[in-house]
Amino acid sequence: MTNTRNIETNTNLSSPLGARGSLDVRGLTIDAKNVDFYYSEFHALKNINFEVSKNEVVALIGPSGCGKSTFLRLLNRMNDLIPGTRMTGSVLIDGEDIYAPNIHVDELRKEVGMVFQKPNPFPKSIFENVAYGLRVNGIKDKTFIEERVIESIKSAALWDEVKDKLNKSAFALSGGQQQRLCIARALAISPKVVLMDEPASALDPISTAKIEDLIHELKKDYTIIIVTHNMQQASRVSDKTAYFYLGELIEFDKTTTIFTNPKEHSTQNYVTGRFG
Amino acid sequence: MIHLEQELVALKQDVTEMWKLVISQVSNAGEAILTFDKELAKKVSLREKKVDAYELKIDRLCENIIALYQPVAVDLRFVLAVLKINSNLERIADFAYGISGVLIANPSVILDAEIITETNLRLMIDQVTKMLTQGLEAFENEKSDIASAIFSEDYQVDEINKSAARIVADYIQKNPDRAFECLHLFSTFRRLERIGDHCANIAEEIFFFIDAKVLKHSPRD
Repeated sequence: MTNTRNIETNTNLSSPLGARGSLDVRGLTIDAKNVDFYYSEFHALKNINFEVSKNEVVALIGPSGCGKSTFLRLLNRMNDLIPGTRMTGSVLIDGEDIYAPNIHVDELRKEVGMVFQKPNPFPKSIFENVAYGLRVNGIKDKTFIEERVIESIKSAALWDEVKDKLNKSAFALSGGQQQRLCIARALAISPKVVLMDEPASALDPISTAKIEDLIHELKKDYTIIIVTHNMQQASRVSDKTAYFYLGELIEFDKTTTIFTNPKEHSTQNYVTGRFG
Repeated sequence: MIHLEQELVALKQDVTEMWKLVISQVSNAGEAILTFDKELAKKVSLREKKVDAYELKIDRLCENIIALYQPVAVDLRFVLAVLKINSNLERIADFAYGISGVLIANPSVILDAEIITETNLRLMIDQVTKMLTQGLEAFENEKSDIASAIFSEDYQVDEINKSAARIVADYIQKNPDRAFECLHLFSTFRRLERIGDHCANIAEEIFFFIDAKVLKHSPRD
């Protein structure tokens, strides 16, 4: 695995939360307390309490419209971009309230990276796609950028496929390769949490398997929250699974428990495909 | 009803049919040995192949369901339990076949009515048949409390077997010329005792399927 953490330390790529001297990487958790979220009058999330330990992979599952993607976007404040939304409660990352007034959203998103459903590479070369986050964060050291780009591409299990064409357009890559490039781009700025919103839903089975293998590798260094509609994918990649329904977190437990003996009848009906 | 549910219902139907066949095999084998009815014993022997065919069919259905539908939670527990129940039922049918085989292979064997009564052979046959029937009822109705009685009944079957061993040993000492027949009688008890054990295994699988409890290798209350 990568030594991106060391590189970060050496070059003082500052942590937005750590800059305030309060981050303890080893103790990182996501801790959402009493979270309610509204799209104008629509009550999308209801009293969510959700805690994730460092290096865990957590799958968010539930039928369309249940609030899982809304909750995912709360974790890096992507919902701030939607007019008319409102949140109550608190979301703590490593003990810091990410909705506190003194938190800079741009800085937060360096800590909490995101990979979307469809691969969205920039119209740039493969190399520049990964280097982009570093450059916009003011890093100019070419050697460092090159090292970080290579490490990130390797971490995203893409290196062997692109090492000879780093200067080619990212659009020349297949869908699966583009998605792994987007993951490399997210990793380049050394986030602590990676959010994935159905990262493999647009990919073929081989590419999906590569993304899932990648998630297993990345959990050594990152905490990963993944939204998926694919039950088998949730059961394959995650340590814990959270089942959402109608804006409520119905059940949150070890993935093995959710898929062998869920406590809630509603969860059982959903995972067995009887509704949803 | 989703497609998986339809497959599970069909699987349950096959297991139920196999179960009823196995109950009749045990019952007929027992009746054959009690009444020295060689024709009934042959009937048991002939129907053994049908049990084997059910076993293969149910194994194949389970494999297909796992491969095609990837069942989880209660559905997965059901398929896993069925796989093991299937195997236990087939073994029970093998024992019934073995009991009937004693008569077929040794047509001249006639057991002393007195020792049959004294050893409680009929009670043991009735007991294991009852255990099998209770297992089926628990499985069909998905009620583990019905299955729980099987554990204490298995204990009773074990006790009858132990007692029968002593009685048969005494009988052989007194009637050494009947030792050959007595060995066949004792092998029947041994098979019935094993049937009781398989019924208890099945009850464990019913608990696993319905209540998600693993009772294997743990004290049974």
